[in-house]
Amino acid sequence: MKKKVLLMSPAMFILFAFAIVPLFIMLYYSFLSDSAVAKFTLENYINFFSKGFYLKLTWKTIKMSIIVTLICIVIAYPMAYIMAKVIEKGKNLILLLIIIPFWTSQLVRAYSWLVFLRDGGVLAQFLNKIGLIATTDMGILFTSKAAIIALVHIFFPYMVITIYMALEKLDNSVIEASKSLGAKPIETFRRIILPLSRPGIITGAILVFVPCLGSFVEPRILGGVNGSVIGTVIEDQFFEIFGWNFGSAIAFILLAMVLLSMGGMSLLLNKEK
Amino acid sequence: MSIGKTLKRIIAAILVLSMMMALTACGGGKEQGSNQENNTSEGEKTKLVVVNWKDYGSDDPRVIKYFEQQYNCEIVHEYMASEEELLTKLRTGGLGKYDVVLPNASILPVAIDEGLFEEVDTSKLENYQYIFDKFSTLPENKKDGKIYAVPWVWGSTAIAYNNELVDEEIDSINVLWDEKYKGMIAFRDDFNDAIMTAAIALGQDPSNPSDLNAIKQKLIEQKPLNRTYWKTGDEWSKLFANKQIAVGMMWSGQAATMKKAGEPVTFVVPKEGAIGWVDYWGVVKDAPNKDMAYKFIDYMISKEFQLQWTVSGGPAPVNSEAVNALDKETINEMNIGEDSLNKLYFIEYHGEDVKKQWNELWQEVKAQ
Amino acid sequence: MLKKILSWFYTAVVFIFLYAPIAVLMAMAFNESQYNALPFKFSMRWFEALSQNTRLIDATKNSIYLAAITGVICVILATALMLGSRDTSSKIKALVNSVVMLPLTIPWLIMGLSLLLLLRALGLDKNFVMLLIGHVVISLPYAVLILSARMQDMDKSIEEASYSLGANEWTTFRRVIFPMISPAMLAGGFMAFMISFDNFVLSYFLIPTGTTTLPIEIYSSIKFGFTPEINAISTIILVLSLAIIGIIAAIMGSSLKNLIR
Repeated sequence: MKKKVLLMSPAMFILFAFAIVPLFIMLYYSFLSDSAVAKFTLENYINFFSKGFYLKLTWKTIKMSIIVTLICIVIAYPMAYIMAKVIEKGKNLILLLIIIPFWTSQLVRAYSWLVFLRDGGVLAQFLNKIGLIATTDMGILFTSKAAIIALVHIFFPYMVITIYMALEKLDNSVIEASKSLGAKPIETFRRIILPLSRPGIITGAILVFVPCLGSFVEPRILGGVNGSVIGTVIEDQFFEIFGWNFGSAIAFILLAMVLLSMGGMSLLLNKEK
Repeated sequence: MSIGKTLKRIIAAILVLSMMMALTACGGGKEQGSNQENNTSEGEKTKLVVVNWKDYGSDDPRVIKYFEQQYNCEIVHEYMASEEELLTKLRTGGLGKYDVVLPNASILPVAIDEGLFEEVDTSKLENYQYIFDKFSTLPENKKDGKIYAVPWVWGSTAIAYNNELVDEEIDSINVLWDEKYKGMIAFRDDFNDAIMTAAIALGQDPSNPSDLNAIKQKLIEQKPLNRTYWKTGDEWSKLFANKQIAVGMMWSGQAATMKKAGEPVTFVVPKEGAIGWVDYWGVVKDAPNKDMAYKFIDYMISKEFQLQWTVSGGPAPVNSEAVNALDKETINEMNIGEDSLNKLYFIEYHGEDVKKQWNELWQEVKAQ
Repeated sequence: MLKKILSWFYTAVVFIFLYAPIAVLMAMAFNESQYNALPFKFSMRWFEALSQNTRLIDATKNSIYLAAITGVICVILATALMLGSRDTSSKIKALVNSVVMLPLTIPWLIMGLSLLLLLRALGLDKNFVMLLIGHVVISLPYAVLILSARMQDMDKSIEEASYSLGANEWTTFRRVIFPMISPAMLAGGFMAFMISFDNFVLSYFLIPTGTTTLPIEIYSSIKFGFTPEINAISTIILVLSLAIIGIIAAIMGSSLKNLIR
């Protein structure tokens, strides 16, 4: 037992001291006033909830993150299924090729979308040539659509990997058994494959949803005049006006939303079981 | 166990690779370290510690070399990433350690109030007399009639447009509200710039706007005319070069750089006025080498240095002699003459409350 | 058969989406225009400029260095953690699991901010150690995710056989466990390396003044306009990483088929 504790403690210590403790420090700051002698106050939170536009931005951010997560699931699931169950050769290669885009900076990729999506840009010219659109204007860039596309692009490899890992573990004989019992493919999918791969979907959803909530670069660069999200508000607080305390409060509200939504998700899961 | 063996080999290979990388990185670090040692061991030279932005004039190797030879000293740069960081550095152990630092209006009044700077005796600065009056009369670097920091360089945030796409001469800030250019405008995503610009357009005092509600309405009115808001200079230059925008708010320095690169850009300080900023040099309280600090600042505001930096793409000089050494056309083109200067409203220090209020207003506009 | 064709078609579509912006990124590295202007005009000038740009090269080296240390530390921590928690009660397992997965549930933005506040509370300047710790904290869960998947279906009987043959714990680890989990360790380290290498958000908050990593260098250069040198270095990194994967495959030699299996 002693050895076990010894093995576990370094990782646990680092996570405790540098992931959990700092959150409490942030919580502490969020209750401080900006006055010269800082004192306990609720004004940071009151300010947030009394201003309609902060709530509006929060809701907008959540909506955007949900959309990105759903699109990721829809695109990634078939891909993971193909890798796990359909093809026999080349799956490791595919896996590698899915991971490789990580090697290019997230920022540079965001900038590439500017070239790719803009009116008269690469995609518009291509679609125009093959006759899908009449002009070379698309009107996608500088709308929230562009930000969503970029975020899906960044995060969907995580979704593929987690779903793939779940599907790989799924025993083929279960599927065969279901088939031999006369279940239609759709039914097999709905009653066997989907429930068994759900842990992968959920892990993937967390890996996509959470960073989306905190994203600020892509929405700002690609989202145009409506590119504000809660992440950009926090960034401005810390880097533009040094409003550490109010910034901490917003960050904590964001964190609370993450925890609530995940609590809700797990509750939903347990109920179904 | 053949798979195990090959895997072991792979892992060994990767370990070797990563160790090589680590070693090269360490090697680089060591080199720098030994260089520094050499310099310090060279002797009793005065060591002047300067805090500045990276790649911002004073750390040009040629400048350093010239100054070090001239005054038999050594200049050591430490870099800051934000004004706030500089303030923190000074508050926590910077006094007595740094000699010269570069604050701007956003922290200067606070720092002076807290006694972080030495009073500047301008009679010790030969070149101080050449500084444009506009700068020597700004309030941010003074307290009770005493001067605590020396203006160094300045710039403006005004209007730039594509002279191939726009076939009129623009001279009014209202072009940003002109329906004619709908979808071709880029406004700056910065609360200070936004509010000051709207105030100028409304005829309010940009340093002390009287009607923030009107400003909010004005900004909301402007919002749909934009292609996008821009924050970094890079966004602007790419939008501009790809003809996604025709007109927008822009910095004087970057407009000049782009023009040099052959872009069809015209930069104007509109008749209603525009935003200006100044960087100051300050001598840190209890600086170890005050005399050398004066010599350094004096050199920084000298005609030679200022002219050389401006010509090679730096910001605008405060030294009137440096400006006068250029021909009229260049001065007009770069908008660094006294007439452009006098149209500027320099960014002033506002208390925390005003800053918060302005930022919130801007967030609200963006959230609309 | 139809299913196979459809599958490959779908895979192709996904890969077009995945690689289109990367192709654009690479193309812009070879484009004459400084501002990514079209039409495309071939030029090597950005690669030439890059070879002179010591700052960008240093930043890349720093990134590799930081990511390599992060990767190694994460693998060691994750392996120890997994070995330690294997046969513990389900309660401890649940605790370990929730603590490890916690960083995944916190947006990096918040993680960076809270570590910055920790530094402030401790009265410390931003420093390399904290940057490294931050990177380890965010990368560790990914390493654990990959390792635990592998450890779960590890056959215990081989290990037990080793003990019953009189091998001690170290020998058992070295000769039995390690060979079994080393692919997962490799994959976990690789993943941690990559998370760290591309991390911008956390570094943005914790980077010590004066030092820089590639993502930070990119972000600070976009303040005034970055040149396609950034695209050039991204292209080089991409090609190099493909080459490294190729080398690994080559070392595997006969087991090249393994990779494509």
